[in-house]
Amino acid sequence: MFSKALKELPPFGEAVGMSLDENDLGPGISVLLPGHPRLAVDEIDQNFHTGAILAIIDNTAGWCIRDHPDYVEGTSMATLDLRVDFLHAVSVSQTLRVRAICEAIDDNVAFVRATAEELENGLIIATGQATFMLGTPSGLDVTTGLD
Amino acid sequence: MADIFSSESENGLMCAERHLKRASYAAFLGIRLIVNEGRLQTVLPPREDLIGNVNLPALHGGVLGSLLDLTASLVLAYDAELIDTPRLVNIDVDYLRTGRVLETFGAGEVVRRGRRAANVRCWLWQDNFERPIAAARVQFLLPQRSV
Repeated sequence: MFSKALKELPPFGEAVGMSLDENDLGPGISVLLPGHPRLAVDEIDQNFHTGAILAIIDNTAGWCIRDHPDYVEGTSMATLDLRVDFLHAVSVSQTLRVRAICEAIDDNVAFVRATAEELENGLIIATGQATFMLGTPSGLDVTTGLD
Repeated sequence: MADIFSSESENGLMCAERHLKRASYAAFLGIRLIVNEGRLQTVLPPREDLIGNVNLPALHGGVLGSLLDLTASLVLAYDAELIDTPRLVNIDVDYLRTGRVLETFGAGEVVRRGRRAANVRCWLWQDNFERPIAAARVQFLLPQRSV
């Protein structure tokens, strides 16, 4: 329903190389991130840097809110917090899939859970939990309201 | 310049610099190191492809999370004079203000360093140190050296 808007990646999403996985039936949203040497820890440790995993989880977590039935299209959102547990190291020769689902929107707070897995075998390599503050439908911008 | 630091922090600085020098993902983001009054700081110059919200515009939450991740790692490498990279177990990020497209600074402190694990707190700011834009609590497993 929101896939058209989603296809417009934020500049950083594009720089990192993430893409919406449209073949995933859900629930929630699925985003793919193919490994690349620039996302590795260093020249020797060719695993995804934890920061890169966090970045795709952050992005997917924000996107999945638009998939929730209570979300009003066009409402601004600001991330309040994000916690990520890194379960396993994963090589940049792999592609990551992040699935995120918005479990509830209440009092303009959205609650999100996410998992990152190896696309090839489905092994979960990281889990995330985030909360977002949504702008009110009247157009009050929460993002600047935080300042 | 160098003689105002104790040999201890010089070694720590060498460790942190070595980590950053070989780091791939940190280089992709463009992270640099400075030492200010004996404290390690990270610096992230603003760049178009680090933007997450083009309308505000604002830096991507994943960029700020990654900078916190790397700041914590480098502060720990500096403090503990680590040669091997510590494993990041989990991170809990609080987003406090919009990350504007400005030069962003990071600093942190090791709350506790045990034999096997370390707890680090770190924070980011832009034009005003008194107004942090994000903060994080990070848990690490320390590299175990065989005796």
